[in-house]
Amino acid sequence: MSIADAIAKKIAEQPIPSLMAVQLLKVIEDEDHSLKEVVRLVETDASLTTEVLKVANSAAYYRGQPVTTISRAVLLLGEMMVVGVAICASSSIVFHAPLDGYNSQKGEMWEHSLRTAIAARELARYARKSISPGLAFTAGLLHDIGKSVISGFIAGSTEEMAQSCQNGGVTDFIEAERKLLGTDHAEVGYALAQRWGLPELLCAAIRDHHQPAQSDEKYKGLVYTVHLADLISMIGGCGTGSDSLAYRLDNNYVEYIRFEKEELELLLLKIQGDFVSLKTAILAD
Amino acid sequence: MDIVYVGVGEFLTSKTPGQTIRTLALGSCVAVITLDPKSRTAGLLHVALPDSSINKKRADERPGMFADTGIVKLLDEMKASGFDGTGALTIKLAGGASIMGINNTFNIGKRNVLAVRKCLWRYRLGAVAEEVGGNISRSVSVDIMSGRVIISSPGMGDWEI
Ligand SMILES: [Fe+2]
Ligand SMILES: [Fe+2]
Repeated sequence: MSIADAIAKKIAEQPIPSLMAVQLLKVIEDEDHSLKEVVRLVETDASLTTEVLKVANSAAYYRGQPVTTISRAVLLLGEMMVVGVAICASSSIVFHAPLDGYNSQKGEMWEHSLRTAIAARELARYARKSISPGLAFTAGLLHDIGKSVISGFIAGSTEEMAQSCQNGGVTDFIEAERKLLGTDHAEVGYALAQRWGLPELLCAAIRDHHQPAQSDEKYKGLVYTVHLADLISMIGGCGTGSDSLAYRLDNNYVEYIRFEKEELELLLLKIQGDFVSLKTAILAD
Repeated sequence: MDIVYVGVGEFLTSKTPGQTIRTLALGSCVAVITLDPKSRTAGLLHVALPDSSINKKRADERPGMFADTGIVKLLDEMKASGFDGTGALTIKLAGGASIMGINNTFNIGKRNVLAVRKCLWRYRLGAVAEEVGGNISRSVSVDIMSGRVIISSPGMGDWEI
């Protein structure tokens, strides 16, 4: 079997997130839907209800009063974030397995994704054209799903790939993946996202997060938000092993995101705080 | 093996032979390692941001988060656990990384390193070894018995500084 076939087979084998997550996406995509429909769907699923309430009651969102109903939680978090929580809760192979090919321990992929999600939600406030913070959160959460597929195929070559990024043999880890496999975790993530039936905007954010300039103009606001959020997550020490920091900043983000140097430290402090509280809330029983 | 971990914004000192103090995945954060050969005490601080003036309340709760407040605390702690203030304190730094093509706006790693150096100068202290900058994520281990400082990075092995 060729590498391309083997990767395609692996994509097809990845479990699809719960029917619930897919149903939620369908409801939300319909512009005329009501909040009630979302609330009703979440309420039919006991474990999702628990997860959503955990996030709503974490210190990152706490507004002085405990949130006990799904309708309050959905209002607080936004619909897209609820979808993100639903996808994560039902895709443990993607988020919670170690990524051996990246020399990445169990839990690192999840932490990298969560931190990128929080960073994207915060950065959405600086977008020149308005972006929903919940959408940015979910795009950040999902941006690296392709790594779960790619990991097994780069195992054994990882050291060489990381070295090649250091000595300029390739421009970044994406190119190293492409050189070895003919594809990369962003493209594979896109294929996975399409199979899962995610909306095109989220698929584009996954496909273009390392090459935002290549994205369709109408997606660029979100794509650059995720591009920067990924960087912030990695410099914050939350990477996925050998590829951590081996990527390149596209400075054209300035056309889509207005962000000043003086704002960085407070932003990083906020992200660090919310990351710790969301992580503890989600991991707590 | 007796390993004690130092999280983001935390610090500790140890003089327990056989113990290793370790901090993981520094990214743009900076580890400040202090070694007092006389009392055989070692300290480790994991700083995330340059300056506590952005949030005084947070600095009170977690002084180790910031270079300025963290270094004051680390040196106090070194004195409390055996460093008598005389003789030379050996200091090593690690971390302060960024990604490729970083611009000035987002290069917090560089700002962290500069802030740490500046705060150390206030005490007339300077690092004898620095493993900083670049685009690799580093972890640091300090062996209390020997005072050896080992850096590791996923896929790149370990080396001593
Ligand atoms: Fe990525
Ligand atoms: Fe990423």
